Amino acid sequence: MERILTNGKIAPSTLQRSSFLRNSQLPLHLSLWVYVIIVLFPLLWLLLSSFKTNREITVNTWALPSAFNFENYKAAWESAHIGQYAWNSLLVTVAACLLTIILSAATAFALSRMKYKTLSKRIYAFILMGLLVPPGALFIPLYRLVTDLHLYDTHQALILVYCTYALPITIFILHAFMQSVPSELEEAGIMDGLGAAGLFARVIIPVSMPALVTVFILAFIGNWNEYILSQLLVTTESLRTLPTGMATFNDGYRTNFASLSAAVIISIIPVLLVYMFLQRQIIDGMTAGSVKG
Amino acid sequence: MNKALRNPYTYLAFIVPTLVLYCLFFIYPVIVSFIYGFYQWDGISEKVFIGIDNFKRLIHDDVFLKSLGNNFYFMAFSLLVNIPLVFLIAIMVSKARRLRGFYKSAVFVPVVISTATVAILFGVLYNYESGMINQVLRMIGGESWAKEWLSDPHLAMLSILIANAWQNIGFFIVLCLAAILNIPKEIGEAAKIDGVNAWNETWKITLPLVRPVLFVMLLLTVSGTLKVLDIVQIMTNGGPFQSTEVMSTYALKIGFRSLELGYGSAIGVAMFILILIMTGILQRVSKSEEVQY
Repeated sequence: MERILTNGKIAPSTLQRSSFLRNSQLPLHLSLWVYVIIVLFPLLWLLLSSFKTNREITVNTWALPSAFNFENYKAAWESAHIGQYAWNSLLVTVAACLLTIILSAATAFALSRMKYKTLSKRIYAFILMGLLVPPGALFIPLYRLVTDLHLYDTHQALILVYCTYALPITIFILHAFMQSVPSELEEAGIMDGLGAAGLFARVIIPVSMPALVTVFILAFIGNWNEYILSQLLVTTESLRTLPTGMATFNDGYRTNFASLSAAVIISIIPVLLVYMFLQRQIIDGMTAGSVKG
Repeated sequence: MNKALRNPYTYLAFIVPTLVLYCLFFIYPVIVSFIYGFYQWDGISEKVFIGIDNFKRLIHDDVFLKSLGNNFYFMAFSLLVNIPLVFLIAIMVSKARRLRGFYKSAVFVPVVISTATVAILFGVLYNYESGMINQVLRMIGGESWAKEWLSDPHLAMLSILIANAWQNIGFFIVLCLAAILNIPKEIGEAAKIDGVNAWNETWKITLPLVRPVLFVMLLLTVSGTLKVLDIVQIMTNGGPFQSTEVMSTYALKIGFRSLELGYGSAIGVAMFILILIMTGILQRVSKSEEVQY
């Protein structure tokens, strides 16, 4: 680009000045840094608060904590049962994700590759209707249904409901991916004597791995962060998931900022660690649904 | 070769489990929601069919109208404040020659944190005595600048909107950035050769070319703000004096606290229909003005 400009008709001196201004990225980076600091500062502030005493938070807001005491963390861990909640969340989330992936992959395969075109098209449209309805409109009947099935206050209820609500978007993404798998791969498999199920397990699943990772992450983050269904469908303290547990802790400790800060930090750290290592996959996974939608 | 992919048993085995879950936890609640909407029912005694009375009641229910208004306030704020900011920052990140990856990762951090945690985090930040926001304001403008953010009916909604923006903007920035970086480089270079300045390039070239992604953002914002729930419920639960009530928090209160399952379902149905109509209109509008490179 510079070469083109130097070949142009503008006098060299003006060119130098204007291209210096244009090329200086300092103002751009400064503004972006301001934004980044606004975004990340609350987390840093919370981190510092989590090492302070309640008095220090109010009086020495801007000072560093006088000592790195882990009292708050101990209190939060013990009284907020964060370990228990995190374990419950992990259990429910992983189970729901695996179920979603297995069911969606099988269904997407049958709908996109098997030779029942008309029927498949109808079923696919029927499942995609699920993308339109906000779960928020369904709480009352869902609550009654779960009670009638004797699943109220169990992890199974959450697993089944989370799995179901992730199905439409997951099938949508996997269907699009599987449709693009070249049929030569399939033909080779058929030559080797594979049936439909064999093709699915030996050919389609391995080549769909990138898409499967994407939908797994999408479903995982959605379930891990889900709040309202877990609050409605599970009441026993020891069965709560992390977001509901945290909200309960918040209600009880509204004035104890030191403990609250520590609890929030504990609940954020695992997520941030995973994010640090799987950034690209997480960003791709979370944005995949909306770009294609 | 079609034989292998024409196995009705495999086909059914791959599709039926998905359909069973989908119909049970999704389609059935949708249908039941519509049916409940026509009944007066406390969940215990016999249902009484009352026709469209629940829907008539909606139009005269001041709290519902207030909630609807708050949903639209939410939408207006997100469209007029968040989206321009998203576009601005995405443009800036796309212009940065260095640190682009860092900026992208940094702005995305709040997106991976659960809404429940964000709500608690901001509850701490907004605290009158020691919250970060009031401490910053005190530093700039003295004691009188400190505000009771979440318990002042005039400020509570704004406070939630800011917290919501903090959490969601990063997601949209990444979406928008991907679209901007997808624009063929030759277009920008051609513009520079033609002497188009940065301002015109942004408005007349970049903006029209990322229209599809702006439209996705618009769609997600409209449906997202009409069904917003978690952040409002944890931060204020509709208070103070129902100044932050939105449709979904109101539906939950009516359904689970006042035990008016019929009326609660009617609110859910109204919400669902409203989302369907508004996203439907938007999709019509966008189809009629598609742009090609």
